[in-house]
Amino acid sequence: MRILIVEDDSDTRAFVAQGLGQAGHQVAVSEDGRDGLFQATGGGFDAIVVDRMLPGLDGLALVKALRAAGDATPVLMLTAVGGIADRVEGLEGGADDYLVKPFAFSELAARLNALARRPAPRGDDAHLLRVGDIVLDLHRRTVERDGRRVTLQPREFALLAELMRNPRRVMTRTMLLERVWDFDFDPKTNIVETHLSRLRSKLNAGFDADAIETVRGAGYMIRGE
Amino acid sequence: MLTRLWRSTFGIVVLVALAFSAATLAIGAVAYEVTHEALEEQLDHRVAVETRALVAEAREGGLAAVSEAIHLREDARNEASLDYLLVDRAGRPIAATITPLTPVEPGYQEHFGFRRGNVTGVGQALATPLPGGMLVVVADRRDLAAIDRTLASLFATALAAMLALGIGAAVLVGWLTRRRLSRIDATAQAIIAGDLTQRVPRDGSDSEFDRLAATLNRMLDRIAALMDNLRQVSTDVAHDLRTPLTRLCNQLDRAATGDKDAIEAARRQADDLLEIFAALLRIAEVEGLAERRALGAVDLSALLEDMAETYRPDFEAAGHTLTIDVMPGLHIEGDRRLLAQALSNLLENTLRHTPAGTAAKLSAKVSHDAIEVTLEDNGPGVPPVDAKRLFQRFARAEASRTTDGHGLGLALVRAIAVGHGGDALLSRSEWAFGVTIRLPR
Repeated sequence: MRILIVEDDSDTRAFVAQGLGQAGHQVAVSEDGRDGLFQATGGGFDAIVVDRMLPGLDGLALVKALRAAGDATPVLMLTAVGGIADRVEGLEGGADDYLVKPFAFSELAARLNALARRPAPRGDDAHLLRVGDIVLDLHRRTVERDGRRVTLQPREFALLAELMRNPRRVMTRTMLLERVWDFDFDPKTNIVETHLSRLRSKLNAGFDADAIETVRGAGYMIRGE
Repeated sequence: MLTRLWRSTFGIVVLVALAFSAATLAIGAVAYEVTHEALEEQLDHRVAVETRALVAEAREGGLAAVSEAIHLREDARNEASLDYLLVDRAGRPIAATITPLTPVEPGYQEHFGFRRGNVTGVGQALATPLPGGMLVVVADRRDLAAIDRTLASLFATALAAMLALGIGAAVLVGWLTRRRLSRIDATAQAIIAGDLTQRVPRDGSDSEFDRLAATLNRMLDRIAALMDNLRQVSTDVAHDLRTPLTRLCNQLDRAATGDKDAIEAARRQADDLLEIFAALLRIAEVEGLAERRALGAVDLSALLEDMAETYRPDFEAAGHTLTIDVMPGLHIEGDRRLLAQALSNLLENTLRHTPAGTAAKLSAKVSHDAIEVTLEDNGPGVPPVDAKRLFQRFARAEASRTTDGHGLGLALVRAIAVGHGGDALLSRSEWAFGVTIRLPR
């Protein structure tokens, strides 16, 4: 992917650029908002990482300007801790996702992957999610694996649906907390792990292959092979 | 400059004094004019009556009779008597008590100059033509002028007294006001200089100055309390961060000597510190958010069911039970994520601080004007000594010093409850110990 990083802090910029470069992405960098907007409108990027606070033109204004120009390139916004209002403003301003500093690189990478390849909603059976031998019906709220009915608790169902909406993509713990539980904080208890292990044991009952893959140090993924 | 003067107390009182003086002046002028006119009319009336009497004499006995009457009246003359002038057609005097200084015209004459002996005077005159001559009856205006003068000097004195009193009052009121305000000013100056213990002295009179002093003192008390709180928080933060930072330094020292495990430990320690900062910032943010938080409709019953479902597996894994007793259909205006975080903190506290086998109950009920959300358990609870400060930052019950946590969870719970216009409090019953979040309906 071609990724643009707009970040004024040189340490963060170098850390992100290096990491994404090593992961095989083409990376362009910018130190301030005006130049960042100029580069972004030049186009050709698959995703843009923007810091909320920037000299010249701040991250929020940059995203707004980009969206006003009809550019729909996915934007991931970075912000310092403690910004409940920032988060809402960022998303309303047109950012697609939001990440609070300090963050682990794996978190950033997972979110960028999820952003860059958003699945287009399909036609009539958009309520049916199919990954490998698992079929999830969002209307009937039923799950089948290889034709066999699996009974899930509501949270487990939501968790599986989120994983199946993003097949072959790593979903991190925080992403799952945000999207399945609507939590914007990190609980001390391992609620994601607990629910995932319950979901996994229900899905895997009677099968040899593990339906959900654990990606060490990053998160979870449904591969569906 | 002038507008500034009128804004001072002195200026206002001067203005009032000037207004009263103007009123005095107006009343004086009207009274003077009315009195003057009334007296003039009285003179005219006397002259008219006398003229009628003399014209009647003329009708009976001609000019000679009139002349005779004038002589008779002149003989019986006193201070208040009228003056007469009878002239023939050629204007020669037939009988006269005065010499005219003004040409004689028929009809009323307001200021008729005359001389009587060596004295000149001005009078109110009525000249009436008679067959063969003209009769002039004159009333001296001397008394009228005297009364006019008396009236004028009376009003002038009143005006002067009014002005003097007004200016005097202005000076006095200005001085008194400045003196009262200077006490408040002195207190404010002392506080600016750094002495926050200063208060405005009160005299107990319950006057507006006294009430202002009381209000200012209450404001200063509030500011002082906030400052104390801030100082306490900074001290606590400094104190509670020293331990993990020292540990971090030690671990880094060990890592420098080649201890691989120490790097991992230092990493965890740094994460821990970041977590403390995040929690502190979150509390501060929620506290500051009260006014401008974007509120939405929150289905509280559904949220509580969700939270119970989310945490029940962990409760069961820890050998606890979690039951739920929530009235259906409870809705409030609020921030769903913040409420979820408050509930999450409570549920995790129970998980962390109670022994296996503890029964916990999450309940919500309406109690007149508020919705009460309670999480209680039959665990050991906290001793009353700790209970008082449980909702403060870095407050941890003595018994839990050794367990995980930073003592920020309940402070955040309370900040969130207060941010929703409610409060968080401890609840104790016979079998259970818990925390209740009261939210306004």
